[in-house]
Amino acid sequence: MTINAMRGGAKYKGTQMRDKQLSEMIEKKVTEAKQVCEADETSDECKVAWDEVEEVSQAKADLRLRLEVEKKDHLESFCLENPETEECRVYDD
Amino acid sequence: MAVCPVYTTQSLNSTCSISTPSKTHFSSHHNHLVFYRTSKRTSKRGGSSSCVITCSAGDSQTVVIGLAADSGCGKSTFMRRLTSVFGGAAEPPKGGNPDSNTLISDMTTVICLDDYHSLDRTGRKEKGVTALDPRANDFDLMYEQVKALKSGIAVDKPIYNHVSGLLDPPELIKPPKILVIEGLHPMFDERVRDLLDFSIYLDISNEVKFAWKIQRDMAERGHSLESIKASIEARKPDFDAFIDPQKQYADAVIEVLPTQLIPDDNEGKVLRVRLIMKEGVEHFSPVYLFDEGSTISWIPCGRKLTCSYPGIKFSYGPDTYFGHEVSVLEMDGQFDRLDELIYVESHLSNLSTKFYGEVTQQMLKHADFPGSNNGTGLFQTIVGLKIRDLYEQITASKTAAPLQATKA
Repeated sequence: MTINAMRGGAKYKGTQMRDKQLSEMIEKKVTEAKQVCEADETSDECKVAWDEVEEVSQAKADLRLRLEVEKKDHLESFCLENPETEECRVYDD
Repeated sequence: MAVCPVYTTQSLNSTCSISTPSKTHFSSHHNHLVFYRTSKRTSKRGGSSSCVITCSAGDSQTVVIGLAADSGCGKSTFMRRLTSVFGGAAEPPKGGNPDSNTLISDMTTVICLDDYHSLDRTGRKEKGVTALDPRANDFDLMYEQVKALKSGIAVDKPIYNHVSGLLDPPELIKPPKILVIEGLHPMFDERVRDLLDFSIYLDISNEVKFAWKIQRDMAERGHSLESIKASIEARKPDFDAFIDPQKQYADAVIEVLPTQLIPDDNEGKVLRVRLIMKEGVEHFSPVYLFDEGSTISWIPCGRKLTCSYPGIKFSYGPDTYFGHEVSVLEMDGQFDRLDELIYVESHLSNLSTKFYGEVTQQMLKHADFPGSNNGTGLFQTIVGLKIRDLYEQITASKTAAPLQATKA
């Protein structure tokens, strides 16, 4: 099996999983926020919903920065010590 | 013979232990003795109650920097520039939780204040509070731990996992030479504020914030101009109530505004950046242009330097900010070429550089970072050098002062 570095630095399955999870969460939470705020724009629920959108958007951006700009997979050191975990399966094409 | 200051400490979970300070804090010349004293055992309640006296050498005091920013933690450009000034790249702790927000380099440890959330994502949803709200944060713990680290004691710091939205088991943080606490509330709690040796507030105007978030989010499925705008608007009341007021406490504020050089510019690409520096701060001498304390307006582009549109405009002068005396250095426009940068550097004073051209060199080292061609990169780099200078002054004054034993 050859090891390929995917899309910048994403080498491990765990990172791929996080990337995908965050993207899905953004979509989901934007939809939720729109729904919640339709009822009452000034409610606490509305502002919390958009705050969650901000949180996951920033987390996604941080991950993207690490992979595409710094070209590092942050699971690298974790996976050196725990290569057998599901997260540390190497992603190859 | 050096005599150590003596402290009594109690560890956080009330069973006392002798903390072993990290090696970096003891020079080979200092011997340290640890005295362990137990009080009388109260057999009725079971278990001994004992106090630990930790002896640390006088130069083990950590310098603490606070950075208030609304752009996530530890990966921000400012942090990367700052850690670069001290040398080495900052990386997450090796072998620990891969979702840790902490960054560690040789000299610095950067802690994300989100780790002090008292409510996780579910908890905040239930209580109806945003992460901006002080009710979502444990300031007592923040204070205890920053205080401990500052005194040379390692702590077990919680981890807030931004992916799962949960609070993960703690990670051990050893006291570094420079501790940076970054996040939404570094200056919110007065006790924490008093621990800071220097504090910075990154003040992004609404228009620029909108432009940056568009760049950040537009590629994501689910986002649109409307959702990006709605998110900023919904967070604004809490931001204005809880985060913005901290800027009055900052020693330096970096204010980022749209340019005034291009009429009706709404792209947010060219920026006007103001470095607002408090006067009278110990170990910090503000940067100035030409003549300290006077008011200057300067366009470097002309006969000696050709710049492309829209050019560069500087201004400098004294002002007041929330009742404090400040000096403000402002840059509007963009650097296009290396020689523009070095030309500007050569006309600024009090930069705390160690050699001519150090600012330019630092900027070039990170030419791919955002803001490398405008005031954000320039002023972040300068603040980084100022922090280095502050650190060296504090450290020098500590080793010079005689160490005295204090009563436990």
